[in-house]
Amino acid sequence: MDIFANVVLGFSVALTPTNLLFCFLGSVVGTLVGVLPGLGPVGAVAFLLSLTFKMAPATAVIMLAGIYYGAMYGGSTTSILVNIPGETASVVTCLDGYRMARQGRAGAALGIAAFGSFIAGTFGVIGLMFLAPMLGRAALRFGPAEYFALTLTGLTLVAYLTQGSMIKALIMTVLGLLAGSVGMDPISGEERFTYGSLTLRDGLGLVPVAMGLFGVAEVLENLAAIGTQSIYETSIKGLLPNRKDWQASGWPIARGSVIGFLLGILPGPGPVIASFVSYAMEKRLSRHPEKFGTGAIEGVAGPEAANNSATAGSFIPLLSLGIPTSAIMALFMGALMIHGIQPGPLFINKYPELFWGFIASMYIGNAMLLILNLPLIGIWVRVLKTPYAILFPMILLFCLIGVYTLNSNTTEIIIMLIFGIGGFLFRRLGFEGAPFILAMVLGPMMETSLRQSLLISRGSFAIFYTRPICATLLGVAAVFLLWPVFWSRHKNIPRSATPP
Amino acid sequence: MKRSQLAVSIVLAGLAGFVLLESRHLSFGSMRVPQTGFFPLVLATLLLILSIILCGQGLFGAQSGRSPDNILPEGWFRIAFTLIAMIGFALVLERLGFLLSTLFLMILLLRAIESQHWSKVFFVAVLTAIASYAIFGWLLGIPLPGGILGI
Repeated sequence: MDIFANVVLGFSVALTPTNLLFCFLGSVVGTLVGVLPGLGPVGAVAFLLSLTFKMAPATAVIMLAGIYYGAMYGGSTTSILVNIPGETASVVTCLDGYRMARQGRAGAALGIAAFGSFIAGTFGVIGLMFLAPMLGRAALRFGPAEYFALTLTGLTLVAYLTQGSMIKALIMTVLGLLAGSVGMDPISGEERFTYGSLTLRDGLGLVPVAMGLFGVAEVLENLAAIGTQSIYETSIKGLLPNRKDWQASGWPIARGSVIGFLLGILPGPGPVIASFVSYAMEKRLSRHPEKFGTGAIEGVAGPEAANNSATAGSFIPLLSLGIPTSAIMALFMGALMIHGIQPGPLFINKYPELFWGFIASMYIGNAMLLILNLPLIGIWVRVLKTPYAILFPMILLFCLIGVYTLNSNTTEIIIMLIFGIGGFLFRRLGFEGAPFILAMVLGPMMETSLRQSLLISRGSFAIFYTRPICATLLGVAAVFLLWPVFWSRHKNIPRSATPP
Repeated sequence: MKRSQLAVSIVLAGLAGFVLLESRHLSFGSMRVPQTGFFPLVLATLLLILSIILCGQGLFGAQSGRSPDNILPEGWFRIAFTLIAMIGFALVLERLGFLLSTLFLMILLLRAIESQHWSKVFFVAVLTAIASYAIFGWLLGIPLPGGILGI
């Protein structure tokens, strides 16, 4: 089947009334999550995961994807109007977006963010459409050794790119792998660390752990330091950027789209990194770098384009290799596996309706968001004014319901709370949750491929350095592990500091 | 910060020791045929090494992150209050049922940050309990515990 026939197939799936409805719902919920500081897209996807059990797999993935890219769109609104990023990928938008709002140009900033996001999101989907099947075909040659190397490299890269100390990120990775080893041994079926608990026999659930680490911990963090946030009071008009705005933003959007897509493919917080790299690049290429930070529209257009393009790019390793590269991709993997679908090299050939339907839904979702976001900005501003005292009990209630309804098991609520407390304390001490959740999901795959490799090679580690793909991947992992040792100044991706 | 980093590294080393001990009960196998205990043992050893490095960093300067000490007492109170309310919810959910448990949880949480007027608290709590029951129980058909009300 050629690509045209595949796209037609995809649209025939995505345009069914049910899928259209859930694409719309996902986009709206995602925008809401992006607008509201306090519940990120990971927490929202984790919460809604339980609702997707009764849905068809395509509908479930379409809705969850809508939440993800909707959050990227929505995050810019809070950054521009309140100077508080709704989610981390929009941190950099605060710098010039909020300044523009203070200068009475909130409409232009919101408009260019929406248009830039739409253009880049569409570009990213086109890239995903072409690259994922190619990579999937290449991955058919992968054996257990390559999969072990791939998971190890992915986890190492995530640890390297995570904010703060790499040692702390590696500790979280090892803890995540240990958490992933709880339950039945994937090969022998022997129980590990279950202590007679029926709940633990199937392993620690992804949803309670993710909700604890990203939902409950986030709320506890906000409860620890509640401040007042001022909404910029102004009538927002002129949402369509003028000709001068477009001239200034055209190239930043184009560059942001390409950079975002490429960085999105790499393991780690792709959209976050992409937005910072785009900002730094635009500042460097600008004839007036001094205007950055004072309300330059390029500082909004580039990063917003980059973070949206990166969301599409981040699906490539998951759908073609079966390797999630971020916490949210780990949840997507969980969503597919709940329906008995294993993402990986055979995924696209085995489930063409699902893959192409998902691709088509992303085109539709991006268009929906553009149409939705501009007229609804007034409503989002009103939502932003909801007092946190009312908002946080609802977020926590949704977390509780989401976890309980998984298996009607209150023990899983306790697991969520334990990980919520742990996540909060670890976060305060500079330990990030993303490497943990990623390692927990990849752990069983990593262990199985390691043990299978050793079985094949009869205990010889030569299998890992005599196979070219495996050796290359492990070489990359070694470079990133040793980089901070030899270069003492480890380049971190700042999330709240001013970028270069 | 230094003190908390040292404390964390000790806790992590303790955890690594615990996993090492527990892994002894699992069959390790051999390098040719690794068994159930192989992977946790490798991981626990790695965790022990990393916690020693973290401890070294804490002792000799390199450290990052904030200390939990930065939180004001009222912040700790809000956190503790919220957690206790949620644990209580988990304990009474199946006995009292979804509607009543949600109602009590919302009343407690809505007054956790600031003392809002009781009428507002009751209104929001009742509305949230009924709306969430309608969405999850009726609309989505998710089985929720009926408890003493039987619904």
